[in-house]
Amino acid sequence: MMKKQKNDRFASFLDWLENGGNALDEEMQDALREEEPEAPGKQKREKKKKSSDKTADIAKKPRKAYADSWWYRLLAFAVAAALIWLLMEAVDRMPRFGAADTLMDSELTEFYVEHTKEETGAMNIVTGIILNYRGFDTLGETHVLFIAVCTVLLMLSIYGEQDEKKRLAQGALERYFEPHHDVILQSAARLLTPLILIFGLYIIANGHLSPGGGFSGGAVLGAGLILYQNAFEYRKIEKFFTYKTFKWVSVCSLLFYSLAKGYHFFTGANHLDSHISIGTPGNILSGGLLLPLNFVVGCVVACTMYALFTMFRKGEF
Amino acid sequence: MLEYLRQAVFAFLLLAGLFIQVTAVIGVNRFRFSVNRLHPAGMADTLGLLLMALAAVVYAGFSPVTLKILLIVALFWITSPVCSHLIARLVRETDEKHFEAEAKEWKP
Repeated sequence: MMKKQKNDRFASFLDWLENGGNALDEEMQDALREEEPEAPGKQKREKKKKSSDKTADIAKKPRKAYADSWWYRLLAFAVAAALIWLLMEAVDRMPRFGAADTLMDSELTEFYVEHTKEETGAMNIVTGIILNYRGFDTLGETHVLFIAVCTVLLMLSIYGEQDEKKRLAQGALERYFEPHHDVILQSAARLLTPLILIFGLYIIANGHLSPGGGFSGGAVLGAGLILYQNAFEYRKIEKFFTYKTFKWVSVCSLLFYSLAKGYHFFTGANHLDSHISIGTPGNILSGGLLLPLNFVVGCVVACTMYALFTMFRKGEF
Repeated sequence: MLEYLRQAVFAFLLLAGLFIQVTAVIGVNRFRFSVNRLHPAGMADTLGLLLMALAAVVYAGFSPVTLKILLIVALFWITSPVCSHLIARLVRETDEKHFEAEAKEWKP
């Protein structure tokens, strides 16, 4: 029964194409047929040719001998044991958590602990440091994410613009072999996606009050989007998130970050009043620029995660 | 006396959870076929995690943190079986040749 299924799979895919599964035009179908695997008899002949090749034999033999020999396993065990010992030793030599003499010789630490709350309005000192004292560094980090997405987009667009039809056909092929209408996954996603998205927003919004912030919250948001997209295909998520959305959200977020941080640095360096009040530390609406900056960073990270996921599949965004 | 009992329950739960996890690790490494491997892997995520979480609850006593720990268990119980299901489905759909051969080879 299995064999029959396997032989029928590509045929059923073609049937699906002809029944207008994704409203493909004929040229796209032709492009797909070109990708069709060759007849099984031909493949077998090619395989025989390959196995008679001397180079293939030479490449195959020592690899097998390597992995099966006792000294290879012993060496692997020794390397693993040495690595574990090294890491455990390093952990053992770290200062104890909460010990009295931990980093107390650093003036910077003392300064941060004493002044972060009153200068930035952040209860979470880490957020105060990365978005206020070292805001410029975080600006670079956020741009690195955006540049990474751009690079991946450049590298993965194999077919380019001149072969749009082939690209779309590849996308259709990829979509066909994905789980469709998987009830188990869909019901799990229906239950979990809202919870995940709300949790991500909570982490972002409480970034200046509790551990968390734009990066971790954005990662959670991106994971929620990926789960939703996996369960409900492209068409449902395309209603609110497309390539255009990604472009606009990312670019606007980065622009806002640059402008806000630039204004903050400009006024701060010239001893001007920036008119951004810090508020009472501990409230949700406090910390001046921290909350909007956290949201902006969260947007960029979520978009990056989702875009990286979708781009590694062929076809449309 | 009650304290000792609590410690005993804690130790039992922790050891049981550890046993499940160790079994799962051995199973994942010993089985040869991916669908067979799913069985111990799924066990670690559900039963092993539940026992460990209950051990943590018993050790720390009942508090608001208990609810959080149980929430973690609930989330894992929703997600882990779905993951196993997806992996099994993928194996079935893409690795049919292997699936068939291993099914013949497998002896109860």
